[in-house]
Amino acid sequence: MNTAVGRLIKAELKLMTRDPLVLTFVFAFPIVTMLIIGGAFGTRPNSGFDFVNPAHWYVASYLTVVIAATGLVMLPVHLASYRERGVLRRFAAAGFPRWSFGIAQLTVGLITTAVACALLLAVAAPVYGIPALHDAWRVGLALALGAVGFVSLGVLLGTLLPSARSAQAVGLLLFFPSFLLGAGGPPPHVMGAAIRHIASPLPLTLLTNAVRGPWLGLGPATGSLLGLAGLTVVFTAVAARRAVL
Amino acid sequence: MRGLRKAYGNRLVVDGLDLDVPAGEIVGLIGANGAGKTTTVECIQGLRKPDAGMLRVLGYDPVTQAEELRPLIGSQLQDSALPDRLRVAEAVELFGTARARQARDGGELLERFGLAERRRSAFGSLSGGERQRLFLVLALLNRPRLVILDELTQGLDPAARRNVWAAVRQLHDEGTTVLLVTHEMDEAEALCGRVVVMRAGRVLDAGAPADLVDRHAGTATIRFSMPDPPAPLLDQVRRLDGVHEVERAGARVTVRGARPVIAHVGAALVRWGPVPADLSVHVPSLEDALLGLLDDTRPAGPSAVIREQEEDQEELTGGRR
Repeated sequence: MNTAVGRLIKAELKLMTRDPLVLTFVFAFPIVTMLIIGGAFGTRPNSGFDFVNPAHWYVASYLTVVIAATGLVMLPVHLASYRERGVLRRFAAAGFPRWSFGIAQLTVGLITTAVACALLLAVAAPVYGIPALHDAWRVGLALALGAVGFVSLGVLLGTLLPSARSAQAVGLLLFFPSFLLGAGGPPPHVMGAAIRHIASPLPLTLLTNAVRGPWLGLGPATGSLLGLAGLTVVFTAVAARRAVL
Repeated sequence: MRGLRKAYGNRLVVDGLDLDVPAGEIVGLIGANGAGKTTTVECIQGLRKPDAGMLRVLGYDPVTQAEELRPLIGSQLQDSALPDRLRVAEAVELFGTARARQARDGGELLERFGLAERRRSAFGSLSGGERQRLFLVLALLNRPRLVILDELTQGLDPAARRNVWAAVRQLHDEGTTVLLVTHEMDEAEALCGRVVVMRAGRVLDAGAPADLVDRHAGTATIRFSMPDPPAPLLDQVRRLDGVHEVERAGARVTVRGARPVIAHVGAALVRWGPVPADLSVHVPSLEDALLGLLDDTRPAGPSAVIREQEEDQEELTGGRR
């Protein structure tokens, strides 16, 4: 851990645990909203939820809310604040290797996501139960691609937006519509056709479909998975260039 | 550095700058706000890419060899911060190199700069002076060969300032090269063996602080009052060696001239009678020299002074790009 990247990861992880925005948005918000909406539609399978338990439908959807909160809110604000205050310049001047900061952010984003997901499942288990995984490999692949893609998107936004305030404004503006339309909001059957049409190409919708389908046995969601993979490649490639010190 | 140019959009910030920083010296970079000092040191560290010119630092090209160069430089940047929730001891751990042979003892540096008691404090809770001292600790951690200090003592109280000056002198004694960007002329006078004055991205003049004072603010001013100043005394003063001007306004007499005039006027007053109670002397300082230089409306000329000095100096910078 005593390499530049190791020291950066260690410091950044400590800072994450002290950041109220992270604790609120990445850890508390998905759990609270999952508990509320997961109980709103009962536990009896019905056609609106593709004949699965609505609570399970939401449990299988909410891991992606954690991923989106990390990528669209936590990381952009964190990085934009660093740029605004000259922290990145200080890292660069101190001789941290060019790629060290990007690698550290990716690692910290993934670790934060993994811990927050584990916590969400730990809370869901005694309340609604955790649905059985029909295709664990596909679910794992979609989660991994989604986490890398959204963390990269977060890094990218953080390097483009001029200040922490603007990053927070843009991040929330991207997060809430994505969250409501593509992951943790009302079920698609209550949305109109136009709204469903708008929701379908959103990155978070693709990710949620790619996770929920194979998890609940609703289908492989290959189209969503491929779309997600494409976005992840693009976001990661651009973010890698932007995050160089 | 030869012919360095850097513009932000249409605004030319550094305009054909020549600069030599000899190894082991403390060189001061002074000038008004917007003179291009910070951009110049950012180019030296490879934090900004010059538009044109040649630059070598410790034998490296900061543009293409930034990764090799940066670990050899200790830098205390202007207008940069650390994460607010990062604690002092964590910052030392983060910025300390893995190469234990090179690293200084962070604890010892914190002690030396009065931060040992603040080890567990978050950066956001530190005062301006404490932050500056922490930046200095971080800059010195890895035994850099070149230390760049930009507005080093901004926000420090006088005692802390003296403490930091002593640390910079110690660095010099250890053979470290120091490039000091400052607005504090007393700081430049106290620390720098050589000072480079910049305006509008160019070098106006360079040299030892005393030489700059001689060249641009050589005039000393002596003032005293006498009821109805006697004409013979004023004539006598006027004839003294080096006196440029004697001005009388009522009881108030002002004498301007080369610095030896201070002694001559003093002697004349002693010979004449009781020394006036309000006798005062203003000895020109580097600040007067800077003001004189900046007031000068002549265009910035080629860096002739620097060229003269080049022959005598072992240059820190190497070949040309």
